[in-house]
Amino acid sequence: MGGTDAKDILHGLPKTPSLSLNQEKKSRPHKESHRKPDGISREVYALTGGVAPLMPSIDVNHLKRRPPPDEKVAWQWLPVKSSARKDDLQLYHWVRVVNDVPPTGDYSFAKYNKSVDVLKYTDDEYENHLTDPVWTKEETDQLFELCERFDLRFTVIADRFPLSRTIEELKDRYYSVTRALLRARAQSPAELANHPLIKEPYDMSRDRERKRALSMVLSQSRHQEKKDAEILAEAKRITEMRLAARRAAEPDVPANENIGSVSPSSNSQLPATAVAPSTLTMADYASTLASLRMLHVYLRTYGLEQMVQAASSAVGLRTIKRVEQTLQDLGVNLKPKVPTKTVCDEHLELRKEILTLLNLQKQLQYKESEGSSHREGTYAAMPDTPKDRVFASEPFSFGAERPIKKEQKRKGPGRQADTPSPAHKRPRKMKASDL
Amino acid sequence: MYGGDEVSAIVVDLGSHTCKAGYAGEDAPKAVFPSVVGAVDGIEAMDVDVESAKGNSNSEDSKTNESEKEKGKRKLYVGSQALNYRRDHMEILSPIKDGVVSDWDLVDNIWDHAFRGCLMIDPKEHPMLLAEPPLNTQQQREKAAELMFEKYKVPALFMAKNPVLTSFATGRATSLVVDCGGGSTTISPVHEGYVLQKAVVSAPIGGEFLTDCLLKSLESKGIKVRPRYSFKRKEVRPGEFQVEDVGVPDTTESYKLFCQRMIVGDIKDSICRVPDTPYDDKSYANIPTTSYELPDGQTLEIGADRFKIPDVLFNPSIVQTIPGMEKYADMIPSVRGLPHMVMESINKCDVDIRRELYSSVLLAGGTSSMQQLKERLEKDLIEESPHSARVKVLASGNTTERRFSVWIGGSILASLGSFQQMWFSKSEYEEHGASYIQRKCP
Repeated sequence: MGGTDAKDILHGLPKTPSLSLNQEKKSRPHKESHRKPDGISREVYALTGGVAPLMPSIDVNHLKRRPPPDEKVAWQWLPVKSSARKDDLQLYHWVRVVNDVPPTGDYSFAKYNKSVDVLKYTDDEYENHLTDPVWTKEETDQLFELCERFDLRFTVIADRFPLSRTIEELKDRYYSVTRALLRARAQSPAELANHPLIKEPYDMSRDRERKRALSMVLSQSRHQEKKDAEILAEAKRITEMRLAARRAAEPDVPANENIGSVSPSSNSQLPATAVAPSTLTMADYASTLASLRMLHVYLRTYGLEQMVQAASSAVGLRTIKRVEQTLQDLGVNLKPKVPTKTVCDEHLELRKEILTLLNLQKQLQYKESEGSSHREGTYAAMPDTPKDRVFASEPFSFGAERPIKKEQKRKGPGRQADTPSPAHKRPRKMKASDL
Repeated sequence: MYGGDEVSAIVVDLGSHTCKAGYAGEDAPKAVFPSVVGAVDGIEAMDVDVESAKGNSNSEDSKTNESEKEKGKRKLYVGSQALNYRRDHMEILSPIKDGVVSDWDLVDNIWDHAFRGCLMIDPKEHPMLLAEPPLNTQQQREKAAELMFEKYKVPALFMAKNPVLTSFATGRATSLVVDCGGGSTTISPVHEGYVLQKAVVSAPIGGEFLTDCLLKSLESKGIKVRPRYSFKRKEVRPGEFQVEDVGVPDTTESYKLFCQRMIVGDIKDSICRVPDTPYDDKSYANIPTTSYELPDGQTLEIGADRFKIPDVLFNPSIVQTIPGMEKYADMIPSVRGLPHMVMESINKCDVDIRRELYSSVLLAGGTSSMQQLKERLEKDLIEESPHSARVKVLASGNTTERRFSVWIGGSILASLGSFQQMWFSKSEYEEHGASYIQRKCP
C-alpha cells in the first residue's frame, strides 16, 4: 500500500491541487535563476544549491508516477485462491481491480511455500539397504515424517520425537539412511561424488565431543570461573617466584663443560688475548646463553650483568656512565676478570658505594647552593650562577669534593667579578689542573 | 504492505486472568475482559437486560448486554460490565484451572460474549486464530477445534502457542519467553518458531497468587478491604464522607473475594516494586511507607510489603512468612525462583542453542510490568550464568505491549501473506477429523 493506493481509493481527489501548484510554478520562472525540475519539492531542490545536477541521478518521471488517468481503479473484497493450499479454502481479501478485471495469477505469497527435499523410501528399499540394529522401521518412518514436517530442524525434531533419542543419534540415522539411499539409487558412483552428503559424512562421535566441550564451557557458573582464574593467577605467580628465586639464589652450580669452554675465553689472564676472545664471546654470546639457559646453568658474568642492571635501573643513564667512569679511574675493570662469588659481590658493593657517593655529592651541591644563595640574598641574584655551580660540579671524578669546595670558595666572594661566568653556560669540565 | 495481507482474521487469547480478542492487523485487542464467569444457580429469571443498562459504563467502546445462557436453570454472566454488578447468589467460576481448560461450557460463553457482545461479528465469516498454552494436550486442542467448527462454524482455524506468538511480536524466531501471567509463570524456549516442549518449565506462582499474598498480609495486619458493593459513602459535610455498610447477606464468598482481589490487584499494580537484592525482614524493617487510599476512604500505609510480595517470584519460600498462606506451604519447596527456572529451562535445551537463548530472554505477561522486574532478573541471571554467555533480558517499554504481547503476536501472524497457506480449514476438518489439527498446528 502506498500513497497512490490511498489516492485511488479516494478516487483521485488530490489530483487537482497538485495541478494548480504546477501551474503556479510555471507562471513564476523569474523567481529562480534556474527552473527547478518537476517532481521534487522546492526545498529539496534548494538543498542541492539551486543548480540542477550535471548528470540526472534519478529519472524525474519515476518520482511521482501517477497512474494513467484512463484506468479505473477500484478495490474489491474478493476471494483468493492460493496454489500453496491443497484444499479449496476461500479466503477473502482486498484486491486492486483495474478496469473491472480482477487480477489473474497465483497468490503472490504462494512462492514462499518452500520445503526441504526429504527422500522417501519404499519398503523394499528399506529391507535391502536400510536396516539397522538399533532402529526399527517404525521409528525410522516417524523420523522421516518429522524431518519433512519440520524441514530438518533437528532441535525441534528431537523435541517432538516420541522416544527419547539424542539429537546426534537422530542426525546420524537420517544422514546414513539418506546416504545409503543415494548410493542405492544412483546409476553410477561418479555422479554422487560431489553430493555433499557423500563428500563430508556426518560423524556422530565428533559431534558428541564438540557438544560435550561446549557444554562444559557453558555450564561453568561465575563462581567457578572466578576460582579458576584465581588459581591460574596463583600458579603463574608461583612459577615466577620460583624462577626469580633461582636467579637470585647463588648455589654453587657445578659448571658444565660449556662453561669450561666459555670461561677460559672470558677469563683470560693475558690482557692481550682478552680482546680476541671477548669478540669471540660476543659473537656466540647469545647462542651460548640460550643453550646454557636450557641446561639451567648459571653463568656468573651473565648473572652479574643482570644484577648490575637491576641495581642501576633506578638511576639514569648519566649516573651509570659516571659510575663507570669512576670505576675506570680507579683502575677497576667494568667487568671483573675473575668472576668468582666474592669478586662479584665486592664488585657490586663497589658499584653501590659509588652510586651512594654520587648521590650524596649531588645533594651536598644542592644544599650548598641553597645556603649560599640565602647568604648572599642581598646581592642581585645572578640566576646563572647557581646553575653554573651545579653544572660545573657534575663531571665528577674520584675525590671531587675538594675541588668543588675550592670552586665555591673561588666563586663565593668574588662573585661580582665573575660576570663573564654566565657567558659559559656549558659546564666546564673539571680538569686535573683544577685540583 | 510488505508481507501483510488482510483476510480479516480474528485473534482470541484466553488467559487465566483476562481474555483478549480483536481483529488481526491491529495493534491492540478491542475486547479485554476478565476470563471468569458469574453463575447464578437461580430459579428466578429476572429481566436482567434492564438492570445491566443502568449499570456503570466502563472504558470498553462496546455496548454490552450480558450473554445469558440457560443451562439447566443456570444463568451465566460474562464481561466486566456484567460482573461489576452485584447479584445475589452469583458464584464466580473460572474455566481455567492450573493452566488448562476444565469447563468448556464456560469457555463457550466467554467466546460467545467476545464475538457477539464485544466485537459484534459473525464467526462464520472470519478465520480464527486461537492462542493456547505451550503444554496443551492433544485432547484439549481437539475439543477446542470441535467447538469452533461445530458451534461457531468458522471457515478456518489455527492454534498457536503463546510463547511463539510473543516471540513473533518482538520479531524473533528464537528466544526464551518468560511469561509471567495471572495464573502461572511459564518459561518456554522457542527455536525457529517452534516451542521445545521438553524444556518448558512452569510454576503456579502468578499475578493472582501475589494478589492473594498481599490480601492475606493486609488482613493479618487488621486492615479490612471492603469490596465496593458493601458500603455507601454519604456526604455528611461538604468534602467529608461517611462510610456506611450496606447489608448484603446473599452475596457469595467467591464474589466478595473477586471484588477484593480487584482492589488489592490495583494496589499491587501501583505500589509494588521488585527489590534489587533478595528480601529479608531486617533490612526492610525501616523502609519509608507509601500511602494508598482505598475506595472506602481508608488510607493504607504500606512499607515492607511493597518489596516482600514481588520477591515471592524470586524466592517462593518467603510465602511461608506471610500469615494466612500456610495452605501453600507444602507446594512451595518444589517451586524454585524465577532465575533458577530460567537456568533450568536453558539447561534442558541442546547445547548449540543455549547461547542464543541467553541473549534473547523475553518478558511477557501482565505481572512482568512490575517495576524493576527486568533489572532484577537480568542481574540474577548474569550472576548465575557462565561468563561466556551474554545475558540480555528484553522487554518492551510499553506496559500494554507486555500485557498483550501474545495477542499482538497473533495479530501479526494472522495478517502475514505467507501464513495464509497454514490455516486449518473447515473442509480439512471434515475430511480428516479433529485429530488432524496435531499435524497442521505444530
